[in-house]
Amino acid sequence: MKRILIIEDDLLISSLVQFRLKKDGYETFLVSDGNEGIKAIDALVPDLIITDVMMPFRSGIEIIHHARQSQPDIPIIVLSSLGEEEQVVLEAFNLGVADFIPKPFNPNELAIRVKRILK
Amino acid sequence: MYSFLFYLILEFLGLMFLILSFSVIVIYLILMILSAFEMRDYIRKNRFADYGDIITSPIAPGVSILAPAFNEGQNIVQNAQSLLSLHYGKFEVIIINDGSKDDSLDKLIQAFELEKTNYAYNAEIETKPIKAIYRSRNMSYRRLTVIDKENGGKADALNAGINIADLEILACIDVDCILSSESISRMVRPFMEETNKKVIAVGGVIGIANNCDVVNGTVTTYRVPETQLGKFQVIEYFRAFLMGRMAWSRINGLMLISGAFGFFRKDLVRAVGGYFPKTVGEDMELIVRMRRYMDEQKIPHKVGFVPDPLCWTEVPEDEQILSRQRNRWMRGTIETLQLHQAMQLNPKYGILGMISFPFWSIFEKSAPILEASGVIYTLILLAIGDFSAVYFIALLAMMYLLSLLVSSFSVLYEQIAFNHYKDKKDLQKLIWMIITEPILVHPKIVFWGVMGHIDFIKGKGGWGIMIRSGFKNAEEKKKLNPQVTSS
Amino acid sequence: MKKILPWFIVFLLFFLPGVIQAQSQIIPEDSIGFRDFLIVQKEVPGLSYRYVLGEKSISDELASDSIYQFSKTDTGYVSRLISDFDLAERLENRLVADSLDYQLVYFVFSNLSSHESTYEYLANLIRNGDYQVKFDEDGPKEDLVSLASKAPYSPLQKFKLRFFSDYQLFGVTLVIFFFFLVALGMIVFMLVMKARKNKRENLLKEYERIIIDPLTSLLFEKELKEIQEMDQNEIEFYFPQTLLSKSLYKDVLVERIIGLNKRMKGEFKDKLKSLYKKLELDKNSMDLLRNKKWDRVTMGLVQINEMDLVEALPEVKKFTNSSNFHIRSQAVAILLNLSDQVDLTFLRDQTFPISLWQQMNYLRIIRFASLQKDLKLEVLFDSQNSSIRIFGYKLVRMLGRMDLIGVLSSIAGGVAEEEKIEILETYSTLGAHMEVDFINECLHAQNPNLNLAAAKAASVLGNSESAEILFGLIKSETSFGNKLHYLKSLYELDREKFDQATLDNSSNEILKIKDHILDPMLQNV
Repeated sequence: MKRILIIEDDLLISSLVQFRLKKDGYETFLVSDGNEGIKAIDALVPDLIITDVMMPFRSGIEIIHHARQSQPDIPIIVLSSLGEEEQVVLEAFNLGVADFIPKPFNPNELAIRVKRILK
Repeated sequence: MYSFLFYLILEFLGLMFLILSFSVIVIYLILMILSAFEMRDYIRKNRFADYGDIITSPIAPGVSILAPAFNEGQNIVQNAQSLLSLHYGKFEVIIINDGSKDDSLDKLIQAFELEKTNYAYNAEIETKPIKAIYRSRNMSYRRLTVIDKENGGKADALNAGINIADLEILACIDVDCILSSESISRMVRPFMEETNKKVIAVGGVIGIANNCDVVNGTVTTYRVPETQLGKFQVIEYFRAFLMGRMAWSRINGLMLISGAFGFFRKDLVRAVGGYFPKTVGEDMELIVRMRRYMDEQKIPHKVGFVPDPLCWTEVPEDEQILSRQRNRWMRGTIETLQLHQAMQLNPKYGILGMISFPFWSIFEKSAPILEASGVIYTLILLAIGDFSAVYFIALLAMMYLLSLLVSSFSVLYEQIAFNHYKDKKDLQKLIWMIITEPILVHPKIVFWGVMGHIDFIKGKGGWGIMIRSGFKNAEEKKKLNPQVTSS
Repeated sequence: MKKILPWFIVFLLFFLPGVIQAQSQIIPEDSIGFRDFLIVQKEVPGLSYRYVLGEKSISDELASDSIYQFSKTDTGYVSRLISDFDLAERLENRLVADSLDYQLVYFVFSNLSSHESTYEYLANLIRNGDYQVKFDEDGPKEDLVSLASKAPYSPLQKFKLRFFSDYQLFGVTLVIFFFFLVALGMIVFMLVMKARKNKRENLLKEYERIIIDPLTSLLFEKELKEIQEMDQNEIEFYFPQTLLSKSLYKDVLVERIIGLNKRMKGEFKDKLKSLYKKLELDKNSMDLLRNKKWDRVTMGLVQINEMDLVEALPEVKKFTNSSNFHIRSQAVAILLNLSDQVDLTFLRDQTFPISLWQQMNYLRIIRFASLQKDLKLEVLFDSQNSSIRIFGYKLVRMLGRMDLIGVLSSIAGGVAEEEKIEILETYSTLGAHMEVDFINECLHAQNPNLNLAAAKAASVLGNSESAEILFGLIKSETSFGNKLHYLKSLYELDREKFDQATLDNSSNEILKIKDHILDPMLQNV
């Protein structure tokens, strides 16, 4: 079973995503802030990371950075309401994220992208 | 003949104290009412606002956060990290290492992979020399700039930050403050609501973090501090920084926003020449000078205030440190009022000149002296067995109850608006503090205030003279000869 | 303290007559009272009196009385000058008993003095503290014990009387009492309120927690149609009626659904909307419109807007002229969002300067509306209100309306400089290369802010002429900050020209700026 780490501070969004991904048979883990996220990446070594950009304590960009260094093979999907800020998107892709999904988003679409990446 | 003069003075003083006491009562009642109205409107307005919109909107102004640091090595990295993860779209963080003697700079360089840059620093506002300006190649830290400069005090460090700040709004904060992740978007709102009155600055509330649990840069569990002075300051913060400022903001008469958490319009701060490093009350002085400048330019303006709890700090619970803080505040107040004495009762400066300024002169600046002499007066009356001593004892009792009234109102006020201290025991502790504070703590505050006056009078010569004679207009600070400023 | 001195004097002037008044009041002004007062005093330095009789003849006994020592005058008799006022009562009684026509006259230092001037003299003595007034109560004239036996027992009567008759003290006490009661009331209220509020907050957290599960599972397990066709039992399964009847729970539900709706896309939005109606939360929103408090009304409007409750439109229209700013702007926002025809003329005709806050809200709606509807942004350019025109230029940029560049181009020459700055930014964002002449024109303008904006646009859209002008500006510019901006623009526009501008200038300033611009660490500032 593939393991997915969801780093998102909005509980409603994260539980929605979690619910959807569980339905597809993934094992999911939820953390709600940047510091926890970085710890969880190293502790869990998941197969995929879904992360928000704006979060307490450590930004999503920092998380991506960390993941790139310590676990360079884990694909990352960025889920962000910062879709407006071009720089963030560019930066995320620069760091080699697999996908960038701006909020508002469609959980079904997210599930399809997850499936494609994890194939 | 002499006895006649003695009685005359006694009578006169008596009348003066009577007038003063009653005006204190009337003013505090008015302040309570005004702040209640302001808070009601604020809460209503907040009910349907979505601050998430500000974060992503391209319309929202950019914010440069300026955080001066002096010997903060222990927590500087953690503090910088939480500043960098604030929720906002367009912002930068400028940390100014003000000649720290510890390893602050090394720690920053290491943690954020900083490198020296060829930044073309231009001292538009005169400051102590800059040693270097650092940035990081790591994209995660692209918002961060660190200035390393020679020590020159908080105001001087902020001025260096103002010189290189790139965005429209300046957020001047203490680096050891704990900021809520929402703080920028909330504080920027009054600037965004500006229509026909220029919003020149926005002040925020400082919460007391002593004895509270802090998780990831936000206070999660509130607890009243253990010590008497700590608890006293909780009450005082509600009273002065929540209720008082709310009331003044209602009539657009704010003269002071906290130096630990204040937002300013950059172009205006630059137009008046930044902070004035020669006063100990640089935060109050800047606001007064900015407002004075706007009035002199005849531009309608206002200073906003956001009562949401967004910033927390540890307050001194040690008597020595607190006494020094209060002494400094008092000197800062006196100096600011001296520097801008031309505004006193001058209709040209509107509400500021006619209401706020006189209020500060009488009730903030002279309060400790008036209070102390009031008590001495009553003692004299008692000693000579004058019947009117009864009045003054009654008057003292009335003032005590007024303090009780105002304090309990402000605690209630906080409770209605935010309800932070969830534990019933905390409330009981606060109530006990409200009752005992006027007797146990207040005399100390009065004493420290009087000491502040004495120290101000002692500090003669050099800048003392300049401060005593005051600025002729708001722009005079800019014209000061740099040789003199760096003396 | 210096400032207090003039006040002191003012107070003194105001206060002094009051003191005199108060002191003199001790002496009765009427002649009988005055006499009685003097009797009590027994003796006053410099003050004496005599009796003048208007009788032609008096009894020998009286004439020879050594106390009076009467001497005859043309009109009658006069007594000797007496300074012991204690005698006056006895002396006068005798005259009255003999029913003689007499008059009491005063002498100050042996000079005849009228009643008024005697009075003044005495008042003066007292005022200057040269004479201590004696009072009647001074010492018992009779035996203490016999006196005491006559007085009824009344403890502290004097104090009590004084307390109540002294309205000042009474007032102060009243205020103290009032303050005490209010403070006490507030403390009690605080304790009660704390308990209630804590309970409410815990409940809120609890509701927030229990709402997540049914909401997420419902969204994934049911199709849109199924949600629309849910019956009472099914609803009961997800959201029990016992909870739904609680207004706090309902509020949380409304807030959650709206929050999700904002962050979701596609079919989920529709599902959330039909769920909103299914739970009859839309009725809740409509009811809010009839609330008396403006914040509740606005809240209702926000909900209607977020959940696209088209059926509320007729109701909403009534609020577009509300006197409350929040209600009005929210109602207008709904019209923008929900009506088929988007008409921006209301915005054009707004007279008040438009705040950034409003701009942000309108932008969000206009951006969404522009996806499905044809927006005539250009009407905003005709507004009398410059802040609205500027918002219009911004909208062109933010909505990427390349088609309006032609319109902008036709008006750009004639607008205020502040507006030109906004237009320049729009040009550079949209990459309007054909407008380079306008940019160059602005580079030549006298306004430094306009020059800076033009330089910024030129760094993307400029031509060789722009580079030439920038070169000139760099040479003449004195401000360090502006110079840096111009050089930066030139660097991005034309490296060769930039090298030229920085090479043949050996000034320290230019070198500093050059290093700054060439530093890769500073490129993303």
